[in-house]
Amino acid sequence: MIVIQSIQDFFHYDFLFFALIGTLLLSITCGLISPLLIARKNAFMGSAISHSTLLGLAIALSLFSSENSFSIFSMTLFITIICTLFLAFSTYRQKLPSDSLIGIFYTSTMALGIIIHSLFAKNKTDLLSFLFGNILLLTKEDLILSAILLAISAPLIIIPFKKWIFLTYDEEGAITSGIKAHLFHYLFFILLALLIVTSIKLAGTILIETLLLVPGFFALKFAKSVKQTFVLSVLFSTVFAFIGIILANTFGLPSGATLAVVLFFALVLSLLIKKIYHLFK
Amino acid sequence: MNKSNQILRAENLSFNYGGEQTPTILNISFSLSEGEILGVLGPNGGGKSTLMKIIAGLLTNYSGEIYFQDCDLKNLKKFPYSKFSYVPQHSELNGILPVKVLEYMNFARALYSDVSANDIDELLNLVGILHKKDCLISKLSGGEKQRVLIARALVNKPKLLLLDEPTKGLDSNGQDQLLAIIEKIKSRDKTSVIIVDHNINQIIRNCKKILCLNKTSHWHNKTDLLTKNILEDIYHCEFEHLLIHENDLQNNHDSTSTDPHLFCDHDHHQSLGKDPHSLLRGVKK
Repeated sequence: MIVIQSIQDFFHYDFLFFALIGTLLLSITCGLISPLLIARKNAFMGSAISHSTLLGLAIALSLFSSENSFSIFSMTLFITIICTLFLAFSTYRQKLPSDSLIGIFYTSTMALGIIIHSLFAKNKTDLLSFLFGNILLLTKEDLILSAILLAISAPLIIIPFKKWIFLTYDEEGAITSGIKAHLFHYLFFILLALLIVTSIKLAGTILIETLLLVPGFFALKFAKSVKQTFVLSVLFSTVFAFIGIILANTFGLPSGATLAVVLFFALVLSLLIKKIYHLFK
Repeated sequence: MNKSNQILRAENLSFNYGGEQTPTILNISFSLSEGEILGVLGPNGGGKSTLMKIIAGLLTNYSGEIYFQDCDLKNLKKFPYSKFSYVPQHSELNGILPVKVLEYMNFARALYSDVSANDIDELLNLVGILHKKDCLISKLSGGEKQRVLIARALVNKPKLLLLDEPTKGLDSNGQDQLLAIIEKIKSRDKTSVIIVDHNINQIIRNCKKILCLNKTSHWHNKTDLLTKNILEDIYHCEFEHLLIHENDLQNNHDSTSTDPHLFCDHDHHQSLGKDPHSLLRGVKK
């Protein structure tokens, strides 16, 4: 009964409706990019980008008041894309493992962000809400921005879909077939940065990683073909993000954390069911 | 050399990976005509795969010239990817994604507008893997994976096919089957092939030209004999016994001659009765 009431709330209150639409848009895009992120072995890179948003946020919050969401969003996006391009440039087809560089980079940018925030932020408490996400912070302006960015990102994955998979599966074969691997490399990380910055308010800079990793992990565990992988990932991401947002509203829980926990439990449960099924098969 | 049907010519090709003092390959020169197979032999680290990657356009920072159909690749505005096909070692495939044979073929097909679904089936049939088109590549055997890779490489009907250790991990039967497929492709489409392999026997039996490579080049044309000295020089080791030419071996078997073979002095008649293939292997002292 409480849950039904909660669902009805999403259609009565604008800010909740925005949150619901934002969640669905975000989960579809995360579901699309997640298997690629895992298959390209860029999960750690995703973490680095999401943590480096803190630097952008700290600079933005030092320059603008937290009500000026468009300016904050733009500045955070700008700084994050610069950090991302640096990381993408440093890791493209390198012989040395890139994880050490990524590790150094993301802890340093995070530390720098915290120092800048503590020295110059106009409101010292703002950063926490960005770390873990707050559904109530989502405005109509945010939603429009998210919709525009997600409308750009999704076609960039869907239209050259076969090229993405070819490059991921057989990189050298794809390059020697004429696919411009370096362009796709940079495009992938810019898409990731866009997605992460767009989803800061909903899931937070730290918890967005769950949305980026769990759907793909689930799909790659269960799917029997490439097409199935992406369909499963999007379905899993959308269904459980929807459930998460409903539960967060029903029980007054933080949205980002609830989404992360729901996705995690859904994954564990499905893996358990698979194990049990194979035991009795 | 008749230049009119020459497909590839490399002149004084050298390459150095950044940070390394000694060049990986130095002053390599060779040429390849239409429908010819060039076998590349040499020890690990000798620069075989590097040479393949340079020709395939994966490594561009080389010195020297590579002419493809008499055009210097460095002077071309756009690398002729559609006329080349490169097959890396199958271990370089990403095993995380569940890719089916047909899906993989369709990735390549999507790049060329004139390739139909029937063409794909025909290619899979050519390499003898059509019945596995709905199977996951990760579930195929090593030989089957190689066939899939070769079929993918043929989607663009290449003028030059580059195969990096296609027989790696295959038993001798699998190696024979794969090389028969390559021979079939060569005859059907007049495709020129460069093949890197560690199996000296297979290279000698199947390739009209052989390039022995260990950083500095030793170009060998099979009209001359590939000598024991050349091989020892390339591999930096001595071969206890090595029979190079199968025909020569067969002649010895048919005749009553007891003359010592060009490279060794063991009894051919006795060895032939066992396994002719084993005879052709170089045995390190």
